Amino acid sequence: MKTYILTRILLAIPMILIILTIIFFVLRILPGNPVMALLGPKAPPEVVKAMEHQMGLDKPIIVQYGDYLGSILKGDFGVSAYTGVTVIQELMQKFPATLELTIFAMTIAVFIGIFFGTYGAYHFGRTLDIAARVYSIFVYSFPVFWFGIMLQLIFGVWLHWLPVSGRSSPFMIPNHIYTGLYVIDSILNLEWPVLVDTLYHLILPSVTLGVVISSIFVRMVRSNVILSLSSQYVVAARARGAKEKKVIFKHALKNAMAPILTIMGLEFALLLGGAVLTEVTFSWPGIGSYLVTRITYRDFPAIQGAIVFFAMFVAIVSILVDIANAWLDPRVRY
Amino acid sequence: MANTTNTNYGNQMLSSRIGRGFRQLMGDSSGVMTFIGLILLSLFVLMAIFAPYISPYSPVEPSGAPLLSPQWGHIMGTTNLGYDVFSRFIWGSRMALLIAVIATSIAAFIGIPTGLLVGYAGGVTDRIVTMIMDSVYTFPGLILAIAIAAMLGPGVLNISLSIAVVYIPTYYRVIRSQVSTIKSELYVEGARSIGAKNMTIIGKYILPNVLPSTIVVLSMNIADAVMTEAGLSFLGLGIPPPVPDWGYDLAKGQQFLLQNDWWMVVFPGIAIILLVLGFSMFAEGMDEYLNPNIGEKR
Repeated sequence: MKTYILTRILLAIPMILIILTIIFFVLRILPGNPVMALLGPKAPPEVVKAMEHQMGLDKPIIVQYGDYLGSILKGDFGVSAYTGVTVIQELMQKFPATLELTIFAMTIAVFIGIFFGTYGAYHFGRTLDIAARVYSIFVYSFPVFWFGIMLQLIFGVWLHWLPVSGRSSPFMIPNHIYTGLYVIDSILNLEWPVLVDTLYHLILPSVTLGVVISSIFVRMVRSNVILSLSSQYVVAARARGAKEKKVIFKHALKNAMAPILTIMGLEFALLLGGAVLTEVTFSWPGIGSYLVTRITYRDFPAIQGAIVFFAMFVAIVSILVDIANAWLDPRVRY
Repeated sequence: MANTTNTNYGNQMLSSRIGRGFRQLMGDSSGVMTFIGLILLSLFVLMAIFAPYISPYSPVEPSGAPLLSPQWGHIMGTTNLGYDVFSRFIWGSRMALLIAVIATSIAAFIGIPTGLLVGYAGGVTDRIVTMIMDSVYTFPGLILAIAIAAMLGPGVLNISLSIAVVYIPTYYRVIRSQVSTIKSELYVEGARSIGAKNMTIIGKYILPNVLPSTIVVLSMNIADAVMTEAGLSFLGLGIPPPVPDWGYDLAKGQQFLLQNDWWMVVFPGIAIILLVLGFSMFAEGMDEYLNPNIGEKR
């Protein structure tokens, strides 16, 4: 197990390096000079020169590349050109919001996927199965932001049930921030009104993202459960007289879980892309909104920081999922 | 690396997933699916081509009072600037299709030859290039496109380019995996043994065999590109206004949501969904027709 984890981490290093190189290429070599963007096209050349020197952009490209990798290794993403605060500090402050949203969305997606997928598989070819399949096709073709706006329209504007934007109402922030995840912090502080307010704000964004992602899970759970329902151990369990519920959930679903976990890892990148759109749709103060806002300000260090951060996040999650998979299913080995 | 079940066309392609879902649902009547897809597609293509003749008003000039609800004369209402939503619905298909087609062409133009050459060469080159492509593939596509679009700035070609980069690995992976199996086929060995040059083998024996799946990937890719383009323009990284664009219209409409102006957000979204569904259904039907032995049954 130890060697497996180590190999897995070592294998991730070149991947991360390649992605960092591509990001470097995109942000430094493509046209769209960050200094010009910051100062405007009418800036006097000597000011531009000074700024370029300050940002290290007058060094040879290979030296810049070395500096870039070195500073990422140290967790130093520079200082935001817009706020003057270090980028890593801003990212750490925004990250819990993104994490909270993705955790809730993933939970909703997995829950819908397991429920709908398992029942669809069990009722193979009948109404419920067809309903599950139609659901997964149509929901998947929804643009995340459009679906979010529709939910805002229905539950926010028409029914007035739920707030349409933000992470909390004014003055409804946990008193003490331990983790930055408001749900956990408000529980730790025993501030129940804050918890309720936080959950209220979480419902629409996480349902939006969760439902759109869930269509994949419905599909995957369904086809994996169909496979395991026709397997020998299910036949054996039934022959022993096990109850149908137990057969479905204990035998069929449990054995279908390992591939589902793999898919969760693969879907994570998709989830993050969707999270950016969801955050913007709901003015959710996470890294996605941060990235998009800073693009409009041409805040170059912040843009680079956010994108590198996303890359690291994807890499870490994929390593974790692979390790979890190896732990769940001892047959998985390199 | 990870097991990718039976998916041939990259598991990140949404159109491949939608299409396959339809095929499973329709079973033996998947001809109907292809037909519906084709109708939807032709509808949008015709809309794009004949936009100046069909649209009742100019999409970039006020044609009535602002924020009119759907009514006779403005069947989808008007925007906050008094633009006719229906006209923008029609004209929006131009931008969506134009960018999707350009992006897809760029991605195919780079991805297919790379896949062919690298797959044929094999060895260390294959390992290195595949690793690079896989890295891009596992990175969230939309975020990569956002980064590139942000650096390149607005413009049809720039947006297309930023979308294209995301899909190059898809072509590469599909083509490479096919080439690496085809190149050990008997007829390729035969060609080599009678002294055919490498380029002849690739062009004459391998390319025709990977072409059918290329066509399928192309049409699937267009659907994905439509979705990505809508996302980019929703985020304000698309074509600058007032050019009619569904993603931008959605973002604009959202600002007026609290006034209950639902028509500004419902219709552009429906346009995106229908176009994506159309391409997905059509592509899946094509796949069944062109590669009858590959499909995953059930």
